[in-house]
Amino acid sequence: MKNLFKIAMVSTALLSVGAAQAQENVVWWDFLSGGDGVRMKALIEQFNTEHAGEITIQPTTLEWGTPFYTKVQTSAAIGEGPDVMTYHLSRVPLGVESGALAEISAEDLASVGLGADTFAPANWEAGQSEGAQYAVPFDIHSIILYYNKDKLAEAGLLGEDGLPMGLDGADNFMAALEKLKPNSEYPLSVQTSGDGTPWRVFYSLFNQQDGVFLGEDGTFFPDESIPKAVQAVETMASWVEAGLAPALTEYEGSVALFTSGQSALHLNGVWEVPTMTDLAAKDELGFEWGAVMIPTFFDHPATWADSHGFAIPNNVGKEMTAEKKAAVLEVISWMNKNSLAWANAGHIPAYSPTRDSEEFKTMQPNATYSILADTAVFDPKSTLAGVASPVYDAVANYIAPAMNGEMEAQDAIDEMKADLQDQAE
Amino acid sequence: MIRNRRGEVAVAYLLILPFVLTYGVLFLWPTLQMVYLSFTDAPLIGAGNWIGLENYIEMFDDRRFWTAVRNTAYFVALTVIPNTLIGLGIAMMVSRLKGWQQSIILAMFFLPYILPVSVVYRIWNWMFNLQFGIMQYPLTAIFGEPTAVFRTQWMFMPAVAFVTIWWTCGFNILLFLSGLRSISSDIYEAAALDNANRWTIFRRITWPLIWPVTALVLTIQLILQLKIFDQVYLFVQGGRPDPSMVMVQYIYSQAFQKNEGGYAAAISVALFIIVIVFSVLQFQFLRARGEK
Repeated sequence: MKNLFKIAMVSTALLSVGAAQAQENVVWWDFLSGGDGVRMKALIEQFNTEHAGEITIQPTTLEWGTPFYTKVQTSAAIGEGPDVMTYHLSRVPLGVESGALAEISAEDLASVGLGADTFAPANWEAGQSEGAQYAVPFDIHSIILYYNKDKLAEAGLLGEDGLPMGLDGADNFMAALEKLKPNSEYPLSVQTSGDGTPWRVFYSLFNQQDGVFLGEDGTFFPDESIPKAVQAVETMASWVEAGLAPALTEYEGSVALFTSGQSALHLNGVWEVPTMTDLAAKDELGFEWGAVMIPTFFDHPATWADSHGFAIPNNVGKEMTAEKKAAVLEVISWMNKNSLAWANAGHIPAYSPTRDSEEFKTMQPNATYSILADTAVFDPKSTLAGVASPVYDAVANYIAPAMNGEMEAQDAIDEMKADLQDQAE
Repeated sequence: MIRNRRGEVAVAYLLILPFVLTYGVLFLWPTLQMVYLSFTDAPLIGAGNWIGLENYIEMFDDRRFWTAVRNTAYFVALTVIPNTLIGLGIAMMVSRLKGWQQSIILAMFFLPYILPVSVVYRIWNWMFNLQFGIMQYPLTAIFGEPTAVFRTQWMFMPAVAFVTIWWTCGFNILLFLSGLRSISSDIYEAAALDNANRWTIFRRITWPLIWPVTALVLTIQLILQLKIFDQVYLFVQGGRPDPSMVMVQYIYSQAFQKNEGGYAAAISVALFIIVIVFSVLQFQFLRARGEK
């Protein structure tokens, strides 16, 4: 009887080993809910169908921001993290410092056809820390200028090609807003409270003047960059002061002002493209919309950008088998090669062959604004920067109040500099 | 009967063992670990190096730490005594009601207390909403224009304190009500026969006799409000976190946002000491007053 039991145990064990060799389960964590999440789920299902019997992705969606990154860090520390996860490239420095990320070797990546030559250089480097690759880019997401074609046409700001004209240059932009004032409650709708959009707009305007956020010696806002930062903040504040943009408005409110037709222009991330597309499809928008790269307010084009990428957690005490690693690499590579579907969520595919494909070049409005990828500026490489970081908090503490006139732009930058410098030490 | 003293002692130890073990493993040991952690440069997860008092020295120089201490003290001042007095006042009114009327009114005051903080946040954030909030009617009447209460620096703490009192005073009412019921009606009758007016009755009878309950409520409130986190954290979402930062929030931000486990532990120890010192001081003071 005992022997029989043993035989049964052994054969079950053997069977399950056999099954494991035939099929690899990849545990996947992401933070994509809402419109993004729906599209990602479809991609995962497609992957699982195409790899039936070989690789199965087991996805879990967690809360975006600090909760996600805290969970990744704590679970990796005890070897309970996932096999692969989505990760903001801006967050890589902090992830590496806290030991949450495993390095991905160039050979491994080359084995599935990924490498520096398949991505835009700035984008690829954003996944690195001290020369080692920790994350593979999946998309580039940025801020763009949404516009209400009807209102722009009324104000004579729409070109014959259907694109806005006369918005470049801080003064011209201001003049255009004045022209739009008669037919809009707020000509420009933009988030003016908290972090998020204020950071993204500020960082774009700052980089259009070649400002340096974090010097090589670890100084935040080196002296010659302070006037540029002040200039950027003053420009943003001037919109609110003149009553051309709403004061103290949070993210959701800023979207609603545009979708309800009360604003002619809207500065926000590409991830709101599905919102507009869906509303327009349901005939609920009530106007023609479009989106373009943000105007050049100062010397040259530059737009803040971040990337969703893929990373492998550094699961302590749990060595990844060669088979598992191969499966994970296949997942990362397949996702990139099929990222056209992801572009539906407004994002620009990171994988250059997809970005250069005919299908993407005809996808609107993505194709119109995708040129921003060439002049995109990624978050400063610091453990204080990135999504839901101290830099984001500093924006909420200093830049947003300055936008609303609660603080002078000069004071805001001085205090932000002191605060970040203090935290860096 | 001859008692087996050693046996009795053994049984006694055996009986308290489960509690001592649980207390030791779940409270005492983690607390000691936290104190140890505060002398290291540990990240959020994993061990760190011993750095002695460095975290504490840094703390005394840290502008944001002192902001957090000041805000916590301000919040305590705004809530502890008002919450206690309002609780007592409502309890005295409710105690005049009888039977089902009392039950219904009491339930109405107690209802907010059973709500989770996230719901309280939703309700009040909506009530104060700049565009649609019902509170904008009185606010507009006072300030002449709709006011973003949770985005206006000087209004933030008082508004959160107001919401907190609305949320938690039901429990205090309950405590006071049971205290009021335990005062014998004979005393009130005797006072009435002596033609004592209401104020005298309150000052000479109710207030001294309810004092032990008042002392208890004040102490519970003090400890609870020193640990304020959830409401402030929620209401500041989308605004400026720093000027209204409270101590537990600062601990959270250091540990989870900045990965500074050791420093966060040092702030926790500071808060722990503040809570102990203040609650012991307050309790002693209140007891002394009660005995007088």
